[in-house]
Amino acid sequence: MVDIQFLGLLNATLQAATLLFIASLGELITEKSGILNLGVEGMISIGAVAGFMTAVNTNNIFLAIVIGILSSSIFASIHAIVTVILKQDQTVSGLILTILGLALSSLLGKNYVGRKLETKLESIFSIENPSNVLEVILNQNIIFYLAIIFTITISYILKNTMFGTRFQAVGEDSKAADSMGLNVTKTQFIATCIGGAFAGLSGVYLTLSYVPYWTDNMTAGRGWIALALVIFGGWKPYRTALGALLFGFLEALVPRLQTYGFELNPYIVKIAPYIITILVLVMLTIYKGGKTGAPKNIGIPFFRENR
Amino acid sequence: MNKYTLSKRQVVNELSTFYSFLAGFLIALIIGSVILLIQDKSPIDTFSLMFKLSIGSVNSLSSSLNKATPLILAGLGIAIINTVKLWNIGAEGQIFMGAIGVNLIYINFQLTSSTSFIFLLLVSAFVGGAVCILIPAIAKVLFGVNEIITTLLTNYIVIGLTIYLVNGPWKDPGSLNFPAAAYVGKEVYLPTIFGKLSYGFLICILFTAFAHYLKNSSVFGYEMRIAGGSEMTAIYAGINAKQKAFLAMLIGGGFAGLAGGIELLSQTHRVSTGISQGFGYTAIIVAAITGMRPIGIFLVGSLFGALSIGGSVIQTIGVSTYIADIIQASTLFGALVIQFFFNYQLKRADDG
Repeated sequence: MVDIQFLGLLNATLQAATLLFIASLGELITEKSGILNLGVEGMISIGAVAGFMTAVNTNNIFLAIVIGILSSSIFASIHAIVTVILKQDQTVSGLILTILGLALSSLLGKNYVGRKLETKLESIFSIENPSNVLEVILNQNIIFYLAIIFTITISYILKNTMFGTRFQAVGEDSKAADSMGLNVTKTQFIATCIGGAFAGLSGVYLTLSYVPYWTDNMTAGRGWIALALVIFGGWKPYRTALGALLFGFLEALVPRLQTYGFELNPYIVKIAPYIITILVLVMLTIYKGGKTGAPKNIGIPFFRENR
Repeated sequence: MNKYTLSKRQVVNELSTFYSFLAGFLIALIIGSVILLIQDKSPIDTFSLMFKLSIGSVNSLSSSLNKATPLILAGLGIAIINTVKLWNIGAEGQIFMGAIGVNLIYINFQLTSSTSFIFLLLVSAFVGGAVCILIPAIAKVLFGVNEIITTLLTNYIVIGLTIYLVNGPWKDPGSLNFPAAAYVGKEVYLPTIFGKLSYGFLICILFTAFAHYLKNSSVFGYEMRIAGGSEMTAIYAGINAKQKAFLAMLIGGGFAGLAGGIELLSQTHRVSTGISQGFGYTAIIVAAITGMRPIGIFLVGSLFGALSIGGSVIQTIGVSTYIADIIQASTLFGALVIQFFFNYQLKRADDG
């Protein structure tokens, strides 16, 4: 028997997982090219506010998605300019991208706090009161399906195509890739912007569907959990997706534990995902014994004269 | 075809960080002006008002320096941890934990001499900050878990803990609208030097000197630098790199914790979510922009403190406080761009 509580849990799991996964997939692409971008939280926030503002003003959901993606992508290009072209410290630049993104989105969204969306991002097959697992899955919106398509295609491209191999060569050994005739700077620049685009899509999912309103700092650390997911997934799309499902499940489960008969303090429930993320990272690092699967050149600026 | 190649400069100007900062600040002011112009506000009026209200009088200057205190202390903590080439993104949580440490001791102990009681409370703030970074530090040195993510996540955990405490066990029934713990007694308030300037700023000066000594002149500082370098060098020099990294993290966390304790004893006088307004994050900018130099952190921290005060008072003329945050972050981005030209040289490649 499939009870209604279980379906609710499944639905919440898929939604929370989609939000996290899209952002981590973008970061995975950026990191595969050898660039670490710690600005995920800021980029999600920019996409979230840009998408929300567009949706409120135009009622055009499609346009809102496009604007959200573009804004974050352009925002990520700051990181690309500073780290790829100007070869500055990736950790510093990424951190400041987060701070700047949160401040900028709060500034932009100042007059949008508390505004309501006329139309939110609906699912493709609108099923009222889904009554089985399949219907819950079909009831997800387009970004959920995009996530599945992206996972399959990106994993395929990375593993099975020449393009994917070359792309990864840039992140593994940029000097060798350069001597093979690959354009390292261009690849890293584009990969960073693509990472931003994915974070933007995640942000749009947040404000147009997940919690359809805007408030300051509403990303609530999800960008950082997305970063942890890339490590969790060992820089592999399917494993990252699995990680996102696990974290989505935990995020969905913890507030529901009460309905299953557990007495929990609501304040402690709120911090559970962060505690769990740390615990999982620790256990994973112990289990893998240092072999994380990270691209070898990550964080090291490519510089031709070093050849 | 004209092609340019990039080469690293052999000699980098000693004051390059300083010049980059100045140029970055100028760039940030221009960005701030553009944002103000878009919002139909005059940049000159706004900036001169910010200037006047942040350093124009003894009272406003002392408010600015009080505001600078947590930024500087947390920034110093970040710089100490960076000596072993590790990052502390958890200063925000450590500041809260410092304040929690103070309140925990305050409600459980009483000392008759208020001077020694204040001293005990400041020590507990330091310990609170160190405790806050304990788990990321253990995870780092024992298992090699990325400290950037773990220290960041502890921020959310500690702020969550603060919300729990002020709504639960420490809830002050008298505070109706804003959940907060009860005020601490006047006997443990940090006294003021003059105007509104708290003794916290004096502590801050002492700790700047201490951090400068620790990083640049002490044996421990030397050992930390080796520990942060190559693994083989550390082994060769007989230095226990993990132990140094662990100690550096606890001390750095303690600095940020102390910032929280001073903030509680001199400004807020009670634990609430208002203990820090993103000081721990601004401190990252302060530390990074100065190349992790304690004296630089002191100076830039003071400037940013004034900027934050200026930013919070211009709300009255309808300008968003986020302008200050944006100027601070843009300063660093601007400085990074300028730093590039100090470190690298563009050369025309004549013969390919």
